[in-house]
Amino acid sequence: MSAPLLDVVDLHAGYGLTRVLHGISFSMEEGSITTLLGANGAGKTTTLRALCAMIRPQGEVRFRGERVDARATEDIVRLGIGHVPEGRGTFVHLSTEENLRLGAYVRKDRAEVEKDFDRIYAYFPRLAERRRQQAGTLSGGEQQMLAVSRALMLRPRLLLLDEPSFGLAPLIVRELFEILRTINQKERVSILLVEQNAAMALDLADRAYLIETGRVVLSGSATDVKNNDAVRASYLGY
Amino acid sequence: MEAFLHQVIGGLATGGIYASVALALVMIHQATHLLNFAQGEMAMFSTYIAWALINAGVPYWAAFFLTIAFAFVLGLAIQHFVMRNIRTTSVLQLVIVFIGLLVIFNSVAGWIFTYTIKVFPSPFPKGALWGQKYLSPHELGAICVTLVVLTLLWAFFRFTSLGLAMRAAAQNPGSSRLVGIRVAWMLALGWGLAAAVGAVAGMMVAPIVYLDPNMMAGILLYAFAAALIGGIDSPGGAVLGGFLVGVLENVLGAYVVGNELKLGVALVLIIGVLLVKPSGLFGSVQVTRV
Repeated sequence: MSAPLLDVVDLHAGYGLTRVLHGISFSMEEGSITTLLGANGAGKTTTLRALCAMIRPQGEVRFRGERVDARATEDIVRLGIGHVPEGRGTFVHLSTEENLRLGAYVRKDRAEVEKDFDRIYAYFPRLAERRRQQAGTLSGGEQQMLAVSRALMLRPRLLLLDEPSFGLAPLIVRELFEILRTINQKERVSILLVEQNAAMALDLADRAYLIETGRVVLSGSATDVKNNDAVRASYLGY
Repeated sequence: MEAFLHQVIGGLATGGIYASVALALVMIHQATHLLNFAQGEMAMFSTYIAWALINAGVPYWAAFFLTIAFAFVLGLAIQHFVMRNIRTTSVLQLVIVFIGLLVIFNSVAGWIFTYTIKVFPSPFPKGALWGQKYLSPHELGAICVTLVVLTLLWAFFRFTSLGLAMRAAAQNPGSSRLVGIRVAWMLALGWGLAAAVGAVAGMMVAPIVYLDPNMMAGILLYAFAAALIGGIDSPGGAVLGGFLVGVLENVLGAYVVGNELKLGVALVLIIGVLLVKPSGLFGSVQVTRV
């Protein structure tokens, strides 16, 4: 059996003296969509940040069998991990097109990058209309699409998504999740999704991990987790 | 009328120098949101290197480009060894660091090269240019060199992916790391480029004001005025501001305040801009949707 795409063992991290993660362990297979669920402050965003070395983690993180927990963010990105951060991380003073170009900054295959612009604009026609516009003037939904697109321009193996539904109208969320499913199936991009919208996340994902106060308290296939009584009561509301 | 024209054209020539230094200031400001008070002294020090090279028998243009390379490395080194290791976010403390650098460069230049005023050669021919007396060959040459430098910089930031990455790193370091940009190096590169631009300005102004450790003191003030008039976050504005300040300085100096109070023009401009239009002529009041 081949090594999992991402293998996290006993991950600890925090901000200053405040410890947020108290030994998170999970793994995900190549080609899958995995979701981390949990309430506000459970440590979902912190987990993604620790994976990308935006904060220094303790513990073991392996990407395709290789230890990455001691590397710098810039080098982890080069391995093919695209991160759509909390708050979208838009380069607000640059144009939409420049934002996308930055997403492909580490790639050397210039001709393929140019083709990827068309690919992205086909997924998100609104971005094509706004390609010359200063990105800070885009609507929230458009900026979220831009953030996902910027990460896709890397041609990542693994896409880390931090609350892509945050602040978006339900219709736009549905549209975005449909596109994420297509990207996962057609382009074999694995997705690690952090969401508060548990119902939507569980519909999209194959596997789910439930995080409470910095620990994994429940894991299983998305269907099993959805049918768990405690999850239904606390996170799905029925 | 003829004398007036003379003042205006002469102002454009020195204005080009102010434009270059102002541009260097704007570049560092965009990356760090700080004004590098040592920018002028770095330029002065680089000009001494050019002087030493030329005195050692190196042809002018070879010395010119070697000096630009030296200044670039100097800027890189200051960011890498000094600024990067200063772990304070206090603006006041950082300003003190800049002033410290200013004093260090000034003193080291005086220590190595003495405070005696030196003649610095011009690469351009002497005598009258096409039989007119408004503009000397050196002044015209300096304007051209300035414009070439500015065009190259503009093209670099506008059309290359490295230039785009530098702009991105200055605006949003966090997101830049997430797309794989090595932010620390971009900052160092910005310092290097700014120092190189400053060195060109130093070499162009030295034949006019003569070379001594204090030659950039006044020029830095004019450059501050230029950068503020144009808008501290607008490279194009800084350039235009530079030419404007050069002309104003000359014309007001000749007809209004007199030569002795010329430097006062720069100070009045700085205070005036800050009072009336703090964002400058082209400084953007940034629009962001939340």
